[in-house]
Amino acid sequence: MLQLLYRSCGLLLLLTGPALASAINTSSGWNMPPGVTDISREIYSLHMIIFWICVAIAVVVFGVMFWSLFVYRKSKGAKPAHFHENTTVEVIWTAIPLAILVIMAIPATATLKKIYDASDAEIDILVTGYQWRWHYQYLDQDISFFSNLGTPRSQILGEEDKGDFYLLEVDNPLVLPVGKKVRFLFTSNDVIHAWWVPDLAIKKDTIPGFINESWTIINEPGTYRGQCAELCGQDHAYMPIEVRAVTEEVWLSWLDEQRETAAAEAASGEREWTLAELNERGAGVYTTYCAACHQADGSGMPPAFPALRGNPVMTSAEGRDKHINAVLFGRPGTSMPGYGTTLSVNDLAAVITYERNAWGNDTGDAVQPSEIRALLDR
Amino acid sequence: MLRALQAVLAAFFGVQSERNRQRDFQQSSPWPYILAGLFMAGVFVVLVLLVARWAAAS
Ligand SMILES: [Cu+2]
Repeated sequence: MLQLLYRSCGLLLLLTGPALASAINTSSGWNMPPGVTDISREIYSLHMIIFWICVAIAVVVFGVMFWSLFVYRKSKGAKPAHFHENTTVEVIWTAIPLAILVIMAIPATATLKKIYDASDAEIDILVTGYQWRWHYQYLDQDISFFSNLGTPRSQILGEEDKGDFYLLEVDNPLVLPVGKKVRFLFTSNDVIHAWWVPDLAIKKDTIPGFINESWTIINEPGTYRGQCAELCGQDHAYMPIEVRAVTEEVWLSWLDEQRETAAAEAASGEREWTLAELNERGAGVYTTYCAACHQADGSGMPPAFPALRGNPVMTSAEGRDKHINAVLFGRPGTSMPGYGTTLSVNDLAAVITYERNAWGNDTGDAVQPSEIRALLDR
Repeated sequence: MLRALQAVLAAFFGVQSERNRQRDFQQSSPWPYILAGLFMAGVFVVLVLLVARWAAAS
């Protein structure tokens, strides 16, 4: 009988062994990724040490349990003992876990201290959570931009096959140089979000009115993806994070490119735009910022999100000022936020123009960036 | 008082023998136990604080 047990145990190990080994193999996707920073590797090895401690405890505890179940079974004439409490045993099974916890706390504390040491960073980046996008500001480089979901709407609606990085791709990734200490400051514009990139081993809440801090030195160039990890409303799943780590030269030329684009963008806010230009750009802005609530066809989701198609505010000349006002400053008491501080004057003019001309609204109005600029400067 | 301290330490650890429990519950006043409990809670807080400081400094 005992032999049968040994044999079945061996068989069980034989069957589960490879599965266990492949689960522990990080490339299988079942385990935590070791990541691409020294800290992330340290966290990974802590995780593995603690995992093996848990395995050892399980083997001992369940081993003793199953062994006693088997050896002292009733059919062999075992008689149950009727005693109450055994102080020595109780002291032992309290002291051993205590000792294990303290042993685990020592390396964990050493790593924690490194995680919190954000001193001597060469690059500072302010990360701000928005419903539902991220904003990155390079504090010393005078560059800032929004990072929106890059997955096309058609993939989300199932009209097209899903891409490799479905819901994990953005229009403007955060670009960082490898080998340099980068300090992140986290905050939020509206509700609590969390900036989570597993490969960097960073998961930080972004809280309105608070600043949280973290840092990284990325060792390997590559693209590292993450998500918002704090349920933050309707499009919580649609605000991914994409970090592109590049060499320092590439990073420097990227910075120049960003500055040029920003300068060109500012310059074009001065000139007169044609209706077609505004409409074309407005369609893109609408998809990114408005379509989640007001829908791609402008039909909205009444009563929470009113329809824009055929809405008198968008179709009549009298509604023009009200329309511009709502987009720039929001509608108090509703879930419509003001975009006056988040979007550029070009984007604002374009999206308002688009809403006044799309889906048969056909007002022919061209709202100029200069007009928006004047309203915002007031 | 020493007996109260011993009872509080056993409570902090979470294990007490039946014999000591019977002895403790035959005392006339609970006050030595309450005072010892408050005192040891204070000692525990200071101890945690010192360990945390030492760990942060080293
Ligand atoms: Cu979020």
